[in-house]
Amino acid sequence: MTTKGGHVVFLFPSVSHALKAEKILKEAGVTHKLIPVPRHISSDCGVCLRVEAPLRDEVVARLRGRVTWEGEAPLEGS
Amino acid sequence: MEETIDARGLACPGPVVLAKKALEGSARVKVLVDNETAVENLRRLALRNACGFAVEGGEGGCWEIVITREGPLAEAPAEASPETRGTKAPRAAGPTVIVFAHDRMGGGDDTLGDILLRAFVHTLLEVKPRPDVVVCYNGGVRLAVEGAQTAADLRALAEGGTEILVCGTCLNYYGLTEKLAVGRVSNMYEIAETLTAAGRIVRP
Repeated sequence: MTTKGGHVVFLFPSVSHALKAEKILKEAGVTHKLIPVPRHISSDCGVCLRVEAPLRDEVVARLRGRVTWEGEAPLEGS
Repeated sequence: MEETIDARGLACPGPVVLAKKALEGSARVKVLVDNETAVENLRRLALRNACGFAVEGGEGGCWEIVITREGPLAEAPAEASPETRGTKAPRAAGPTVIVFAHDRMGGGDDTLGDILLRAFVHTLLEVKPRPDVVVCYNGGVRLAVEGAQTAADLRALAEGGTEILVCGTCLNYYGLTEKLAVGRVSNMYEIAETLTAAGRIVRP
């Protein structure tokens, strides 16, 4: 399952926002994974959505106007 | 050089992310926040990076925080990494066994429990040393079947040498025998032996 190359994580203001975004991506058939917010970003809170970097633009298009997110961050490796 | 950040209205991890970014360029960063969680998260950020921390205010729900950095930002958090935690913890005699008895983590809300358990399984890949054995029974067998979002992580664990035992009786009961995606079908003899011989049992 580990993909070579980078991922992007989408950070949300709450767990509920992350869940809503996950539902949207699931319905759209966009491959994604709900993971804990990586330690180097913040170990203090929450979950985020990880997608493969090439899918980033599609994810943005799917989520825009339907759910708000707080930021994105590149993620190396798994 | 001082930088001021207005992080009011931002929820976690917003204030920490902004503060960290600002600290990379400035030795002194002032952050305005409007919730106590943010204050505590920033306090930990400062602590992890050996930075000075001062907080003022609180009246009217607004705090002014000043974080000062002496040297460069720490590459890694000063808190124990999984590697050091793993070596400092006393090694139990016998294998470490993780038991999944449910397809949820904790009790309270099933939706949340589902998220937490998926996050837990994902994080297991980062924990060193990896568990020796994972045992799935009752609702826990749902983690190891086709379509389960945890299946890929369990497969990665298995590829790394962790043995995954899945209760055959349970697969049969739930009608999932044909759907097993990862791990080996096991029985109560092996499960009972594994649990009683374990040096450490972790049950999320």
